[in-house]
Amino acid sequence: MSKCLKLVAILLCVSGATSAQVVVDTLQSDNYDFTFTESQLDDDNDASQTVSNISSSNNDPYLGEVGYRFSPMRFKVRAYDNMYEQTYINGLLLNDVETGRFQYSMIGGMNDATRNSEAVTGFEYNTFGLTPIGGGSNINTRASVFAEGHKFTLSGTNRNYVLRGMYTYATGLMDNGWAFAATVGYRWAKEGVIKGTFYNSLSYLLSAEKQWGDHHSLSFVTFGSPTERAQQGASTEEAYWLANSHYYNPYWGYQNGKKRNSRVVKDFEPTAILTWDWKIDNSKKLTTSAGVKYSRYSSSALGWNGDAYDPRPDYYKNLPSSIFDVYDLENRNNPDFLQDNPYFLSQYNDLYNFWTSSEANRQINWDRMYYVNSVQNQNGDETLYYQERRHNNQLVFAFNSTFNHNIDINTKYSLGINLNHTTGMHYKTMDDLLGGEFYYDYDKFSANDYGKGSVANPTEAANDLRNPYKRIYKGDKFGYDYNINVNKAKAWGVIEHTNDIFDIMHGLYMEGTTIERDGKMQNGRAPQNSYGSSGTAKFIGGGGKLLMSLRPFANNLISLGLGWDTKAPLARNVFVAPRMQNNFVDNLHNEDIFSSELNWKFRFGSLTGKFTGFFTRFLNQVEQTAFYNDQENRFTYLTMTGISKEHYGLEGALVYEVNSRLSFNLIGTISDAKYIDNPYAQVNYEGMNSETNEQLNSWSNPVTGENMPLRVIMKDIKVGSTPLTAVSFGINYNINNWYLELNANYYDRVYVGYSAYRRLSNVLNNYTATGSVGGTPVFNIDDGSGRSSLQILAEDGGVLFDTNGNTVGSYSPSLEKYKGGFMLEASIGKSIRLRGGRAMSINLAIQNLTNNTNLRTGGFEQNRDDLYSTGVARSYKFSKNSKYYYANAINAFLNVTYRF
Amino acid sequence: MKRNIFHIGALMLMFTCIVLSACMDDHDAPDVSNYSVTKQTSVGDTTISIHNFKDKYASVFTQNNAFVLIEEDEIVEGVVVANDKGGNLYQTVMLAEYNATYDMVDPSRAIVLAVKNTCLYPYFPYGQMVRVNLKGLYVGCYSKLPKIGQPYFTSSNNLRLGPMLFELCQTNIYLVGNPSDYTNKIKPFELPDDSHAMFHDKSYQNYKNAPMLVTVTGKFVLGDDETIFAPDELKDAGMGVDREFKIGSTIITVRTSTQNDVSFLKMPKGTVRLTGMMSFYDGWQLQLRSVDDMEIISE
Repeated sequence: MSKCLKLVAILLCVSGATSAQVVVDTLQSDNYDFTFTESQLDDDNDASQTVSNISSSNNDPYLGEVGYRFSPMRFKVRAYDNMYEQTYINGLLLNDVETGRFQYSMIGGMNDATRNSEAVTGFEYNTFGLTPIGGGSNINTRASVFAEGHKFTLSGTNRNYVLRGMYTYATGLMDNGWAFAATVGYRWAKEGVIKGTFYNSLSYLLSAEKQWGDHHSLSFVTFGSPTERAQQGASTEEAYWLANSHYYNPYWGYQNGKKRNSRVVKDFEPTAILTWDWKIDNSKKLTTSAGVKYSRYSSSALGWNGDAYDPRPDYYKNLPSSIFDVYDLENRNNPDFLQDNPYFLSQYNDLYNFWTSSEANRQINWDRMYYVNSVQNQNGDETLYYQERRHNNQLVFAFNSTFNHNIDINTKYSLGINLNHTTGMHYKTMDDLLGGEFYYDYDKFSANDYGKGSVANPTEAANDLRNPYKRIYKGDKFGYDYNINVNKAKAWGVIEHTNDIFDIMHGLYMEGTTIERDGKMQNGRAPQNSYGSSGTAKFIGGGGKLLMSLRPFANNLISLGLGWDTKAPLARNVFVAPRMQNNFVDNLHNEDIFSSELNWKFRFGSLTGKFTGFFTRFLNQVEQTAFYNDQENRFTYLTMTGISKEHYGLEGALVYEVNSRLSFNLIGTISDAKYIDNPYAQVNYEGMNSETNEQLNSWSNPVTGENMPLRVIMKDIKVGSTPLTAVSFGINYNINNWYLELNANYYDRVYVGYSAYRRLSNVLNNYTATGSVGGTPVFNIDDGSGRSSLQILAEDGGVLFDTNGNTVGSYSPSLEKYKGGFMLEASIGKSIRLRGGRAMSINLAIQNLTNNTNLRTGGFEQNRDDLYSTGVARSYKFSKNSKYYYANAINAFLNVTYRF
Repeated sequence: MKRNIFHIGALMLMFTCIVLSACMDDHDAPDVSNYSVTKQTSVGDTTISIHNFKDKYASVFTQNNAFVLIEEDEIVEGVVVANDKGGNLYQTVMLAEYNATYDMVDPSRAIVLAVKNTCLYPYFPYGQMVRVNLKGLYVGCYSKLPKIGQPYFTSSNNLRLGPMLFELCQTNIYLVGNPSDYTNKIKPFELPDDSHAMFHDKSYQNYKNAPMLVTVTGKFVLGDDETIFAPDELKDAGMGVDREFKIGSTIITVRTSTQNDVSFLKMPKGTVRLTGMMSFYDGWQLQLRSVDDMEIISE
């Protein structure tokens, strides 16, 4: 409760103060949570969570629709990451410079207050910034733009939350030049649609504006959305089968008969923005915004002493298929083998029965952890199980200034500067000792390699040599503690000239970025390069874009857009192992992006539409994944550099208006997004010192023995967790203020998220030619499975060497493609005008009417291979047990709005 | 203006009230005083002693890596004299027979209970009397070590008697009394030199005396106060390292798993007393339970 009171105090202060907050999650392992759970933060905000901001664009019949239509499948426009779109509020760019993304949770639950926005595609002219390939939007929260009066909205749903209430009041622009507006909202679920999840979120926005004459206005807005919510975890198909539900959530368990979730996010990003609008004259305007944001984001997770049994209920050793290889029909899973070895089937059945006999058996066993810790207490020993809280806080100062000039009716330009200073604060604290009394701060996994050590004689296991083996109690920092400092400055300009036949838009920008890590702990595995400053990495970037449009005849527009960007890699990706040490990754360069698109926009009578072909190539990209490596029992960083990717495809939209009441529409895309090369890899285990880590990064030539740069064999691997094919047919009908909409959507070509670890060149099999025929190397690849060589390479991957040790081919293990499927959606609404200018509207939207519970929206391969270190195959097949997320079952959203 | 301030004040008040009702992730600690991963009611009365049980199934225990399914209620009980607390024993609890006549635990009449779980010691603490209904479980030898468990494939793809499913503790195992009832009644079998017949007489070197909780006195052959018990680079396929330990003129093996506290102990130059679980393979092999099992007698 004291925490709550503190929260209130903070909130009250914030209304007139300077704080602000951001949701940051620097670890890609947690991005699985991000992609899914964050995307569902606000169901009617899904569009903006998973689809580009530009989805709200009214100028584009495709992008204006895909957000709403395809959000249940976590669709990403052109398979772009959300970092390639920008979000501004009152002209202030608020994308997180560490992750590149705008955190929509910071404005969650204040839909009525953030409805006024200008959204553009990547090649559209706008007055707030030179947006990247994914486009951008500028949300206007100035008090004067709010509709005067009261608005109350009440919503009920069976999604992440069950109830939402929002109240907005705005004065409008008063005679004295002042305008005020305020919104407060609350979203709640004791238990959301996914078992074991809850939702508890308040939101507020206060806006004040003063206008002086016709030329000046000063606006102040502060907002935040303190949220506490429990998450859903992905699991394997086997676990879903055992739980008899695709919505099984392994993150919770019973404690005292109540459901307790192990992954609870606490998120609050109070933000304050001061904006000065100077209308210099009718053609010129200067908009200047300065803001501060203090983000407090944390998520909890179970932790355990290195030797303690993994407490996750769907840990692979708990699953029936860990007993024998159920996929090996020839040697294991057949009547003869199982009859000769009845103990395997017996154990399999025992585990099956355990999983299926009681729900509690397949969830987290909190009591067991408390019990184990109570025994530890009796012996005076440290806790074996605990719940840690990983904090990713940020303090952001941002400044934007934009000058817009309409030279004449045909020509206009914008110039601007953006400045950003961000300090990201990353550390973890002891959230709950689960009945234990204390915990020693050293890396338990590292202790297995280097010995535990002691205060007098610390080893590599010490997490902080300046305070080794500290006893940790609830609330204490432990494990890691570091800041990431990022400075960004950008100057840009864009000009557009239009006439009856030909338009041209051209934009240029230049930017500088500095990135530094400031370690607060001296890590025992990196004593020389973990405490203090890493030094500063500096990047100079820039780019431009060109859009040429032609109107060959009436109501037809053909346009060609070309763009080139070279920009700094993200701060989250540039350190080898940021939780542990200061080193930057090798081969660090600016990332380059070439983008292009060709559009045809038309109207023929009642038929309007747009077709687009696009091609984007990413070069020199850096991506980092961080995950708990079950294979090695270590937290692992894997950074890929020199990544090349291509995204290309077709998009289209057709709208046929039968009359003013009835219209039909068809939208769709078919695209491809894939890696086109094998990037360099750098692996770092958090529990190992630099010497050992160096060995991990070795890949020796099987013929010459020469050491080669480690690579990830990624060529032709698709970008996962978004449909690459999506089509929707919709009908809209309205009569007497009734609105009806019916959409049938089809999705296909969704790929699972790849594991880079399983594709490391030193993890894959390396094959050497047995000879050559006519100069062509000959390989004899046989794993005893009866598959052909090509099949083995296509399914399991491998690197081929000729007899001289030259690489003659590399094959990435195949990536699972999900089955496609249909989803039907309907909505009905009615607007009612009441006396005295009051109004009411009711809307009911139902998603997934046919209750298709088999549509996978995303997931990821496990970072583990199928072999023991001896080379012998494991019983459990990680390669066949990826973890998946499924689209929600049938769900409804009822929204009632009353204006007075 | 006053009205506006009123509205905004009302908003702030509402929002304060709501926040006060927040914080949904609060949980009271559960009462775990009666918690157990084993069966809460008896698995039946003991039907046979460990010693007699091993004799009854001698045909299995005299083989290497053999095992057999127990199809009837064979209920044995023993006191935990070694477990995985020190990290050197993996998925292993050593049960030794309690001798009511002498009111002592007999360290030479024992068997290994293997359970598929790490950190077994909170569930099976030192001194705990454990009763096991073997019906549905397998008994046999891992190499030559008598064991209760279930078959599995090793990482070398060999079919062996491995640990029983942890989940079966709920049906097949019952904890009798408290650990404090027996902790003072456990005394390792003392072997101060190699004069005992078990070092020379082959009739002792079999399943009957394995495993055994012993204390031996001697010197490490490579003892230099520097070299550690089990460096990772020397580990074999079984993830352990063997060190020669000389007792008089007899050499036994001290086997230590890598990656635990015992593995980082330095082998002393001088004479030491070691306590641990001893078993017979080609020769006698000793596994320390924890770092406390080594006592330096002379530098």
